[in-house]
Amino acid sequence: MNDAILSVRDLNSGYGSASVLRNISLDIKKGEILTILGKNGMGKSTLLNTLMGFVSPFSGKVMLNDKDVTDIKPHLMARSGVAHTPQENTLFPDLTVEDNLRLGVTSDRLFQQRISTIETIFPRIIERLKQRAGTLSGGEQKMLLMSRGLVAQPQLMFIDEVSEGLQPAMVDRMAEVLIRARDELGISVLLVEQNLDFALSVANRFMILKLGEFIEQGVVDDRTSAEHLSAHLAI
Amino acid sequence: MGSVTFDVLTTAAILFVVSTGLMVILGVMKLLNFAHGAFLTTGGYVAYMAGLAGVSPWLSIPLASILGFLFGLVVERIVIRPLYQRPLDAILATWGLGIVISQVFALTFGRGVQFAPSPLSGTVDFLGVEYSAYRLAIAAIAILLAFALIGLLSLTRFGLNARAVIVNEDLARGLGIDSTKVRSLTFGLGAGLACAAGALITPLLSVDPNMGLPWLVNSFMLVLVSGVSFPSLLFASLVLGGTQVLVSTYVSPILGGMTIVVLAALILRLNPKGFSRA
Amino acid sequence: MPDTNITVSRTHRAALIGCLIGLCVVAVAPFTLDIYLTNILIRTLLLAAVVMTVDILWGYTGILTFGQSAFFGIGAYACGLVFTHYGFGPGWAFAALAIALGVAAIVAAATGWLAFFHGSSPIYASIITLALPIVLTQVIYSGGSFTGSSSGLSGFPTYFWDLKVWFWIAGGFLVLTTTAGWLLVRSDFGRVLIAIRENEDRSAYLGIPVSRIKTILMVFAAMVASAAGFAYAAFSNVVAPELVGFQLGTELLIWTALGGRATLLGPVFAAIGIDTMSSWLSGAMPFLWKLLTGVGFVVVIVALPRGLAPLLTALWHRFWPKSNSMFTEVKITQAPASRMLRASFGDTPPLRIEHLSRRYGSLKVLSDVNLVGHGTELLGVIGPNGAGKTTLMRCISDGKERTDGSIHINNVEIGRCSPQRVVGLGVGRSFQNTSLFDTLTVAECLKLARYRLDGAKLFDRVDTVALPQPALDILKATGLDQKLSNETRNLSHGMKRGLELAMVLATEPSVLLLDEPTAGLTRPERMAIGEVLTRLTRDFGLCIILIEHDLDFVRAISNRVVVLHQGAILMEGTVEEVVASDLVKAVYAGHHEEEVA
Repeated sequence: MNDAILSVRDLNSGYGSASVLRNISLDIKKGEILTILGKNGMGKSTLLNTLMGFVSPFSGKVMLNDKDVTDIKPHLMARSGVAHTPQENTLFPDLTVEDNLRLGVTSDRLFQQRISTIETIFPRIIERLKQRAGTLSGGEQKMLLMSRGLVAQPQLMFIDEVSEGLQPAMVDRMAEVLIRARDELGISVLLVEQNLDFALSVANRFMILKLGEFIEQGVVDDRTSAEHLSAHLAI
Repeated sequence: MGSVTFDVLTTAAILFVVSTGLMVILGVMKLLNFAHGAFLTTGGYVAYMAGLAGVSPWLSIPLASILGFLFGLVVERIVIRPLYQRPLDAILATWGLGIVISQVFALTFGRGVQFAPSPLSGTVDFLGVEYSAYRLAIAAIAILLAFALIGLLSLTRFGLNARAVIVNEDLARGLGIDSTKVRSLTFGLGAGLACAAGALITPLLSVDPNMGLPWLVNSFMLVLVSGVSFPSLLFASLVLGGTQVLVSTYVSPILGGMTIVVLAALILRLNPKGFSRA
Repeated sequence: MPDTNITVSRTHRAALIGCLIGLCVVAVAPFTLDIYLTNILIRTLLLAAVVMTVDILWGYTGILTFGQSAFFGIGAYACGLVFTHYGFGPGWAFAALAIALGVAAIVAAATGWLAFFHGSSPIYASIITLALPIVLTQVIYSGGSFTGSSSGLSGFPTYFWDLKVWFWIAGGFLVLTTTAGWLLVRSDFGRVLIAIRENEDRSAYLGIPVSRIKTILMVFAAMVASAAGFAYAAFSNVVAPELVGFQLGTELLIWTALGGRATLLGPVFAAIGIDTMSSWLSGAMPFLWKLLTGVGFVVVIVALPRGLAPLLTALWHRFWPKSNSMFTEVKITQAPASRMLRASFGDTPPLRIEHLSRRYGSLKVLSDVNLVGHGTELLGVIGPNGAGKTTLMRCISDGKERTDGSIHINNVEIGRCSPQRVVGLGVGRSFQNTSLFDTLTVAECLKLARYRLDGAKLFDRVDTVALPQPALDILKATGLDQKLSNETRNLSHGMKRGLELAMVLATEPSVLLLDEPTAGLTRPERMAIGEVLTRLTRDFGLCIILIEHDLDFVRAISNRVVVLHQGAILMEGTVEEVVASDLVKAVYAGHHEEEVA
């Protein structure tokens, strides 16, 4: 037994003959935000897709609450308490905001119970329940995305570049929400990011992914040098 | 003139009813079900046997839909599910299934034509025109069916899950939707709708082992032209079915028989998206 | 190389032997068969020739056709109609045959026009082939006494030759057409057909005129089917709408599937076996027999998608192990220095983009992009996800993609050209995923890439492939020149990338579009590719447009970088200038202002 919710050991993954991830190991503890930093094309999304079961790993092991979930079916991963917010094609643009939220939970009864928690976090989303999701502004869409993850009341969230394309004020709002989710609801988060300031403002630990391998990791504290890390992230 | 208008409307209604099952399956599973004609035939024989057993003709329609649904679930599990990655092979397999079904009926009931009792006979005077009561009833049923299906898709949890799978299957799976189950239920629903449609139209015609075949190609064309949307299927049935009635009435019934096929092929050549979002 | 022209190739020798054996069997068979069986077999042998064409269309090329019966019927009706209504005699017979072939060719060409165009879906094409026999049947019904409507025509004058003669005609026709088909699918052109089946899009982007090839193939298959139908009508003295109908069309497919698609001989023997059996058994147990073939068909499709023939050949190879000398070693030669060098060092820029925009509905993916790509220039395109980089590539390589604006390649406007035409203007595009042709060998892939320039032999294979110097360099650098007869699916990822690039270069482009060519490669492999790209611009004057995330890689090889953001060009400059720009930093860090909705 260890106290990790999710633990990954020696994961190798990719598409067909292309190897994208090499020997990836990581642990996420309960109530912890772990951020994975890296530029585009370094394998961040592939990592989340492999953990969710969309991509079959070549080798390695993924454990969720000490249960082997390597190469699991995605819907079973979601039902085991993992909420995945992918980076692209994240919403159903032709469905209403309400329908998009309903899809976050498996039954409509649960949805009715939990919708009130969203109201306190993103009142703007509740105001727009009947609108089509595609007509929301970029910032509102990100709020909807986070809301959909939160109504699932997951124990673990995979969040793929949620700060991309957001105004600074919105980014701060997202940071606040993530910290609340961790501290008040005990949700653990695997946060994939390129925005260093945002990631460091919420995360407990960081890992840097370059060309499919972790090249550096550590605890986020006062001594964490943003200057030094940004060298890996500058365009 | 008045009766031609009714012909147009009721023909469109029949085409719509006959095509819905095909569209449901194509929409969710991206599979063109060539056994659709055989499912229609199955519905026809259910109506015929219900008539023999003395069951009310009105009851034979829901009965056919239930049997069709169960049959669809079995077929999906055995034949369709192994072929998700091979769409053209899935077409062929459903075609083979269609042959098997029609041969089973031929073995059981013979090649001959059988008749099912009609729930409504004779004509009624509607808006000043004497017209077949049962054809009018089918038109009414088509409208109800359209509303029921739109309701199923937009109001229920199953409908929501199905729409999610139609638009973005991966995202739906990532949110905990078991897309395999959705596909399976969809195939059942499509088969059920097809059987019900077969039971519904049999009193107008007759049933034989190949009864569904002539309907098969026309419904393919309508569904391909309309994309995945019930309102647009209704529209396509009205336009293409209407043209068919007009050509049959004023030019030649044989030319009328190929109107839908030719028109739909040309529409799709000029605009591969057809009427969807037109 | 010089000896290749003297000795007959293995394939040709095998075809010749097979053909002779077939003809001998056909010559002797009627003496050993009873009248009933001979009668059945004449029809069956003719249908087997039609099944052979179905296998070429569906098994090899991937066109699922339900309508091959229509052409069989056209031939039959040409015979029946001419002999009934116009006249009979050698002259009339030839005229009728000419009509049969001509009408079949025209109908096939029209069907091809309807069914095949860039962007048409395979299901749509199948439905068109399904509609064809249905429409034709209606046409026959509407012909009244001229076509005999639903009862058809019979009792017209014909040659009442001895059954043996008809058997020899039918059998000889089958053996000869099958031999031709066998040589066709084993030729270089046959590889093109397989490439179309495996990856139609990729073939188009190598400049292979996919739709035209499919249509031409359809026309020839139709003519073979029509000739068979003609012979059948002349022999049986009966034509009926069933000969046109799609029931027969689907039966042809079933035989093909049962025999084993893409084996050619499998479907032919399956057709002979099953059709003869049905004629025998349908008297005793008509419905049961059809039921059993239906069940067999479904089982084969689900569980044995390659049909029964592979089982038999596997058994054969257990006793006679497969010899490895089947593949003739292919040699690579150097193509004459060509357009590649001449065009690119000239004054006019190879690529000129003016006011390019692309919208999907209300969504603007690209707006007012202006860009000039010079020869000897490697232009890096960078930008965050969703900036429109891949859409830009798509617009350059497919004339139908853009909403507005103009694109000139070597001073020629691409207009609304399909991808294979744009390749002809000098654009080569490599894809983000390595979309190769799994069952083809490295050499076959390279030949494929040369199809537009060198063509392909219809009934033969050449054992050399001439490539331009840069393609040769890549093969050498990646070691692919030692693996020419390996199937591409067995290559490492790095080699696949190398082959992909070599194939694109083999089309001799002057503008090269590369979408993340180094994704998934190891560091040494990246370096090797980088060196090759540098040489391509410096020594061969190519204009390269490169999408790449790894700025270190871009920095090492690129002269100029364009930053795309939200579909517009944000900045242009050297890598150093771009990296130093605060604006670009802001975009990448996500600090830019969100557009007010």
